[in-house]
Amino acid sequence: MSENFENELRRALRPVDAPAGFTDRVMRALPARRDPAPAPVVNELPAQRLMKRFGIPMAFAAALVLSVILGQHVADVQGQRMAEEREAAGLAASRELMQALHVTSQKLDLAYQAVKTPPPPAGDEENRT
Amino acid sequence: MADALLVRARAGDPDAFAELVRTHQGSVFSIGYRMLNRRDAAEDLAQDVFLQLYRKLDHIESLEHLGFWLRRVAANLAIDWIRRLPHTSTQPLDEGAAVEAPHREEDPFMSRELERLLGELSPSARAVMLLRYQEDLDVADVGAALDMPVNTVKSHIKRSLTQLRSRMIGAKLVSAEELS
Repeated sequence: MSENFENELRRALRPVDAPAGFTDRVMRALPARRDPAPAPVVNELPAQRLMKRFGIPMAFAAALVLSVILGQHVADVQGQRMAEEREAAGLAASRELMQALHVTSQKLDLAYQAVKTPPPPAGDEENRT
Repeated sequence: MADALLVRARAGDPDAFAELVRTHQGSVFSIGYRMLNRRDAAEDLAQDVFLQLYRKLDHIESLEHLGFWLRRVAANLAIDWIRRLPHTSTQPLDEGAAVEAPHREEDPFMSRELERLLGELSPSARAVMLLRYQEDLDVADVGAALDMPVNTVKSHIKRSLTQLRSRMIGAKLVSAEELS
């Protein structure tokens, strides 16, 4: 759009004077006294304003995250303990089995020795009687 | 310091407040007059604006803020009045009640016609044009004053200029060459 026209518009739209006596008219219409000023707003730091606005949701979110992390940790510890218990029980069973096999082996040796040793001769019995 | 006037007015000094009114009454009255097209309505509107100012003085931060605040309130109040009382926007400018515009050197007939054609724009477009060309606010400030996006302000200005220009040419008030 042409600059000429915009300038023409500016000239045409120069502010006009208010009617004579306008200031007096306004002053007469003023109320006797102004409303008291609003209570001064305590200057808050941005962090304080954020806390006031988002404090409760943030606390909920933090509590939720914390409980998830804590739950995970407890589950890990319990799992580890159960694994250790299972491993100890397995070792004990293995030891008992080994001991049982050892005892059995000894008994078998004794039995084999007993079988292998020749019986005493029959004359010995007669001489004694 | 100019802001001392504001401090005195806040403290309840009537002379200081009267000085603030005198300084800005032309601007506020002009917005009302060209928005409402009636001198009496413009006076009522301007008085209403200054009464609001009196109540809100504690919220005004500086004289610069004061000027912006007054223009914003005047323009929005005028739009509100037009919407509530639609006839105010369609009436011609008061005949025989010409207001004084100091130091005019241009063709008074042309100015009168431009004001009349301005009155045919929608209230929002008229407010945009007045704040832009009468009050010389930049586009961003016009948007801030009317709670309007900058792009909307720009499109109002473009459409209104085209409309005004074609009406002026159509009415043979000017030739296309003069406005080019």
